Amino acid sequence: MIYRETGQFRTSYAEDQAIFRLREDRIGIAAILAIAWVGVPLLADEYLLRAILIPFLILSLAAIGLNLLLGYCGQISLGTGAFMAVGAYSAYNLALRLPELPLLLDFFLAGLIAAGVGIVFGLPSFRIKGLYLAVATLALQFFADWAFLRVRWFTNYTPSGSVTAPVLDFFGWVVDTEREKYWLCLAFVCAIALLAKNLVRSRLGRSWMAIRDMDIAAEIIGIRPMHAKLSAFAVSSFVAGLAGVLWAFVHLGSWEPLAFSIDMSFRLLFMVIIGGMGSILGSFLGAAFITILPIFLNQAPAMIGIRLSTAMVSHLEFMIFGTLIVLFLIWEPHGLARLWQIGKEKMRLWPFPY
Amino acid sequence: MAVASAPVATSAERAARRERRIGEVLLAVENISLRFGGVRALSNVSFDIRRGEIRAIIGPNGAGKSSMLNVINGFYQPQEGRIVWKGRVFTRMRPHEAAKGGIARTFQNIALFKGMSTLDNIMTGRILKMRASFLEQAFRIGRGRSEELRERAFVERIIDFLEITHIRHVPVGKLPYGLQKRVELARALAMEPELLLLDEPMAGMNLEEKEDMCRFILDVNEEFGTTVALIEHDMSVVMDISDRVVVLDYGRLLADGTPEEVRNDPAVIEAYLGVAHG
Repeated sequence: MIYRETGQFRTSYAEDQAIFRLREDRIGIAAILAIAWVGVPLLADEYLLRAILIPFLILSLAAIGLNLLLGYCGQISLGTGAFMAVGAYSAYNLALRLPELPLLLDFFLAGLIAAGVGIVFGLPSFRIKGLYLAVATLALQFFADWAFLRVRWFTNYTPSGSVTAPVLDFFGWVVDTEREKYWLCLAFVCAIALLAKNLVRSRLGRSWMAIRDMDIAAEIIGIRPMHAKLSAFAVSSFVAGLAGVLWAFVHLGSWEPLAFSIDMSFRLLFMVIIGGMGSILGSFLGAAFITILPIFLNQAPAMIGIRLSTAMVSHLEFMIFGTLIVLFLIWEPHGLARLWQIGKEKMRLWPFPY
Repeated sequence: MAVASAPVATSAERAARRERRIGEVLLAVENISLRFGGVRALSNVSFDIRRGEIRAIIGPNGAGKSSMLNVINGFYQPQEGRIVWKGRVFTRMRPHEAAKGGIARTFQNIALFKGMSTLDNIMTGRILKMRASFLEQAFRIGRGRSEELRERAFVERIIDFLEITHIRHVPVGKLPYGLQKRVELARALAMEPELLLLDEPMAGMNLEEKEDMCRFILDVNEEFGTTVALIEHDMSVVMDISDRVVVLDYGRLLADGTPEEVRNDPAVIEAYLGVAHG
């Protein structure tokens, strides 16, 4: 009875094409945004912001990037970590070598550089599909690991290979407290999520989905597969690159190439699969799930009076992730986002399902 | 008496109207030969399709009918021969060139985008009509917004025309077979094609669905003046709705003419029914 569309008439195509068609959805998203922008920064302590919320936001952003490529365009990538690394090191070098550029422009250019790399490594997608493409992107991952470790120019010849981000100064606004960092990440995430949502409900997004669902049929209605796939690679890597910059500059502060290893790529892949392929909401749900589950596993046994060793906890984490991924792939390939949608469908009819 | 003759008169009228509408040659395939390794799928096939007509391509299984459609819209590259489309000569057609040039098609085994709604599927048919830049789409401003509304209104007309308003927001994977076929036709129509290639549009349908589909094909042809080339196995449908018929057998052209001529052609009778020996 709370959530239903009876009596809400949409009288123009513009209304019908809105992102949130139902009044209840609009109220919900407004509440979430208010809590995220005002409530959380007021209530959350420094640890919660630094250890949970900021990583969650940045990983959501990266997951959106991967979701555009994997969930919407159907191109498997195991190189998301590499795209993040390209973004992070590009921004680092831009800030180091061209200090006169404003930091925000560095971020943007770093995204563009990641997009360029994405296009180059997306080229094989024209000839190979599925698992073979996954292996080709895996090559990028190893290439990036190697390049940022061995080509010393990227890390400015620091002896340890670890680099430190510059001061986060945006036109005079110096971002140094955790709260400000949180707002910065939130701003990026909100903006990119909206743009991504707009893209996937426009011509470009439909051409990606057409390629994903049936490339032959896409071709006969005039979609050029090359164009669609490469644009998906470009946009996806732009978003991933930007997430990489935030991860390095805001979350880590100083980092080494290992921060963007294949572990990162796999974590993002898990987020997209568990959260929901082909759903912007799913990217958030997946990122939340994967960042919060380990913390939950740390706390929960203690709460009910069981003491587990840390080794046990981290093993449990792997076991639970593995099981969940298998279960999701078998029963709900569209992930948490789909479960949420089914829940909403049921809510619309509740309490009279017939 | 007058009442009884009325439908006959309208049918004759309709035939006359179509006669007048049929115009110049829209597409001609000339001496097309297509081989896959040692298999000759098509050998030296030539025929033409005139503007405004309904052209049927018939033949037994494996006769090369679908291959012919694939050659026309660029999936297969023939080893010999050429295609003349609106006066322009192509030795090889590319799928996106065909789409841009105004050739749309449906497939024998439905080729819809299963993860998308009916509406989105049909909207993909408008992709070539949309010009919004990347940024306009991302920020949903300017053409990014106005085009979505304009094309939505256009697509709604097709949805209305094909009587699928009730399944607008349903993912096509959930639709029954007959409706999926109709959505595929809708997507092809959304391209505003000059030539519509239909590969067995009525395969696997029951009588009622077949009648609906026939009606839609005739309406499309009459109201929009779209030229239709269709492959069909149901002879009563072919004889009823087509203006001219091409018969293929083992990749060769067996006969070409009006339904009446083709029906009485000895070679066609032999291919379809066999011939009495002895």
